[in-house]
Amino acid sequence: MIRLLPRSRGDRVRWGVVLVLFLFAALIPPLAGLDENLNPDASSRFQIFLGTSALVLALWAISYNLMLGYTGMVSFAHAAYYGVGAYTVALIFKRYHLPILVGLAAAPFAAAVVGVVTGLVAQRAVRLYFSLLTLAISQLLFSLAFSWYDFTGGDNGISVTLPDQLSDYTTLYYFTAAIVGVCLLLMFLLVRSPFGAALLAIRENRQRAAAIGINVKVYELAIYTIASLFAGMAGGLFMLYQQQAYPEMLYWTANAQPVVVSLLGGTGTFLGPAVGAFIYVVLDNAVSKQFPYQFDIILGAIVLGVVLAVPGGISDAPTVFLRLRERFHRGEKAEAAPAESSGEAIRLFDVRKALATDAIQAEEVHPGQTLLQIDHLSRRFGGLRAVEDVSLEVKQGDRHAIIGPNGAGKSTLFNLITGQLKPTSGTVKFDGRDITGKAPHVIARTGIGRAFQITTIFPKLTVRQNLQFAMLAHAGYTVRPIGFANRIFYAEAQELAEAVGLGAWADLPAGQLSHGDQRAIEIAISLALGSKLVLLDEPTAGMSAYETDKAMELVRRLATERHLTLLFCEHDMSVVFSTARTVTVMHQGRVLTEGTPEQIRRDPDVQKVYLGELEQEELGA
Amino acid sequence: MTPGQVLLFAVGGLANAAYLFIVAAGLSLVFGALRVINMAHGSLYMIAAFVTVVIGNQLGASLGFWGGMLLAVAVAGAIGGVVEVLVLRRVYGREHLVQLLGTYAVSLIIAGAVRIVFGANYRTIVSPIPGHIDLGGYSYASYSLFMIGAAIAIGGGVWAMLYRTNLGRNIRAAVADPDLLNATGVNVTRLYTTVFMIGAALAGLGGSIVAPSQAVGSSIDTDVLVLAFAISVIGGLGSITGSAVGALIVGMVISFGLVIPATNPFALAFVFIIMTAVLIVRPRGLFGLPES
Repeated sequence: MIRLLPRSRGDRVRWGVVLVLFLFAALIPPLAGLDENLNPDASSRFQIFLGTSALVLALWAISYNLMLGYTGMVSFAHAAYYGVGAYTVALIFKRYHLPILVGLAAAPFAAAVVGVVTGLVAQRAVRLYFSLLTLAISQLLFSLAFSWYDFTGGDNGISVTLPDQLSDYTTLYYFTAAIVGVCLLLMFLLVRSPFGAALLAIRENRQRAAAIGINVKVYELAIYTIASLFAGMAGGLFMLYQQQAYPEMLYWTANAQPVVVSLLGGTGTFLGPAVGAFIYVVLDNAVSKQFPYQFDIILGAIVLGVVLAVPGGISDAPTVFLRLRERFHRGEKAEAAPAESSGEAIRLFDVRKALATDAIQAEEVHPGQTLLQIDHLSRRFGGLRAVEDVSLEVKQGDRHAIIGPNGAGKSTLFNLITGQLKPTSGTVKFDGRDITGKAPHVIARTGIGRAFQITTIFPKLTVRQNLQFAMLAHAGYTVRPIGFANRIFYAEAQELAEAVGLGAWADLPAGQLSHGDQRAIEIAISLALGSKLVLLDEPTAGMSAYETDKAMELVRRLATERHLTLLFCEHDMSVVFSTARTVTVMHQGRVLTEGTPEQIRRDPDVQKVYLGELEQEELGA
Repeated sequence: MTPGQVLLFAVGGLANAAYLFIVAAGLSLVFGALRVINMAHGSLYMIAAFVTVVIGNQLGASLGFWGGMLLAVAVAGAIGGVVEVLVLRRVYGREHLVQLLGTYAVSLIIAGAVRIVFGANYRTIVSPIPGHIDLGGYSYASYSLFMIGAAIAIGGGVWAMLYRTNLGRNIRAAVADPDLLNATGVNVTRLYTTVFMIGAALAGLGGSIVAPSQAVGSSIDTDVLVLAFAISVIGGLGSITGSAVGALIVGMVISFGLVIPATNPFALAFVFIIMTAVLIVRPRGLFGLPES
């Protein structure tokens, strides 16, 4: 389903900037020549040289931003892959006496191989510890380049000589520009593809990404490797105009350059770092020659300013400008449409329409058959038996509630079912498949959707993208590195957004919506995933009485009309008794009893459990 | 290697471990309480080293060093306070990315400022405790033994501060639940500033103590930072015991790695191999606390 997106004013400005940028890059050599003619002091060769270095820096920084901006990973090893690219060219030329272009062709792949191996190691940790592991890897590679004197030349580095065809500055510039251009195009297609959508989802919310079926670790390793591939290419091109590889290229502080350049240009945009690279080279040349130490201070001030004040970097400036102008104009026209949602989605939720949406056609259901089978499931934390020998059966089409006092093990049980925790013993079978101890993304793919206790969506993505990305993940499209993710399932996601009453806010970042509406998005994500079983962890927590009624009415209607199977835990007994058909009571990690709401209501043991808790609370108070 | 040589290199390793422990303990203390990795920690170390050398040499003779050290620690602590108020306060609770980049920016600014104020040349100061002790045919610099003793004393001091004072009790409570601590009437904002200043002062103390035994130049900030990271990661961020164990491992690996001809070029590489291995087996380090 291809559909052209409406172009906003912001888009037009952005494409204009892109065009100017490309024209400028293409015209650098003639402009430098003109400058030399008019100004006897200027050297066109030097300016073209600076232009070449800006191109290479742009490629390097954009490859860094694939991780920093698109996936939210901070790596201290990226300079090492850049260095590996440069050393590949140098070593193939010097040690194996092959032409420099052979080395250039091999550079990205050498860097990618080193990247995938070291990336596997770094992935053992997440976030901060991941960053520190990349630091160790970077220093290891640096030590190798620095100390393996016989092979790498140690601190002297290795130099190469260019073939005659490339020794002309202008030719070298256009040669570099062509390769950088192709690399940028490839990276651009990648970040806009369904694969890129998976990366954005991971950056936004790792837990939710896994819950829509994305294998977070694999995607992170993939982008880490791809980023090192392009860093290797940049390092190879560096050899063409510098003709020298040296160990300091790999030292961890060398990562400052792509980081500063990305921040300077804007990590939230694709070409931002390219703008940053040109500004950096100009600044570097103007300031650092006379005032090398002041340059460090300027860089530090820029990074600090960007980090503390403008998280988007200067490429965000046009958007900021447009937003200001929009606000100014709106101020003139009395009151514009309300920009904020107010929990209306639940009321507007159109179940019939939601279920008619093509993308989410459910499979046939057989009410009464066992869908989820839990046998003797236990989980201990040290000496604490959070879940102890729990056996439970959830029938297709049922609305099954799990109740119990705080600490009864309800959330732990949910986490064991959806794979956030691994059981100590026991089995979980879903739809005939053994899913015991499987990873969350695998379990999500078998058809178990989950709404978390704390609302878990992709806050900075639009409401439509939240649903679109879930559909992409469900269809298995996120492995595709080509195609425009925003155009796939656009209409279906819009339709679903309208059906759940969020049509008017489809273009708003999901995080701006009210609590109740965010809950509606979560349920819609479960629908978009075509889940057969939906786990709701305290679905009405934090809702007003009105919202609670509406939300549960929605849940009941969904379950009835779609034969959707529900498993939920809830503290509000009126919600439980009005919604559930089967109730399981848990107490201290064990199943106390199970029955229809009527049976449970009359059960003296259940009353004792809740009464006992009450007494304890009274005593405690 | 004779037993005498082993002892010699072991003492060398202990001396390395001594100053590295002081620096890493500051890094770890700040991480434990504030959950921020301070990329400018090495910069505070470098400032203190320069202040010690420059002021110490101005004051002259051996007494000058102690004056320089006092001033250096005060300067490092004060700069730490300014950084905490101006930068750190705005990044608590934000993504690690923002914290890393924010403190990294501070390190760039300090690096530039240090080079403007002190220049790019290496500087040295004579040891305030000259002489050496001869034992089994080898001589041991008295100053190395002083460093080892000082590190043990500082380690004990930090432990006593954490477990025997009101301040320490508040710091440990802040690690567990800052909001609750705030609700009990403790000014957590001021507590964080205090902790960060103590961490900065420890970085300064490390830089000051190391000055007589190494040349002081404008790249020692990143050199020490990367070792302090390695130590904190091996021992576990947030744990003072971990810092001590990590510093011992790193100090010994460097000392023995450098003297064995076969491993000499790769002594530093071993540190990072150990760091990688520990993180793979125990992602939180040997004594690390889980991330809250």
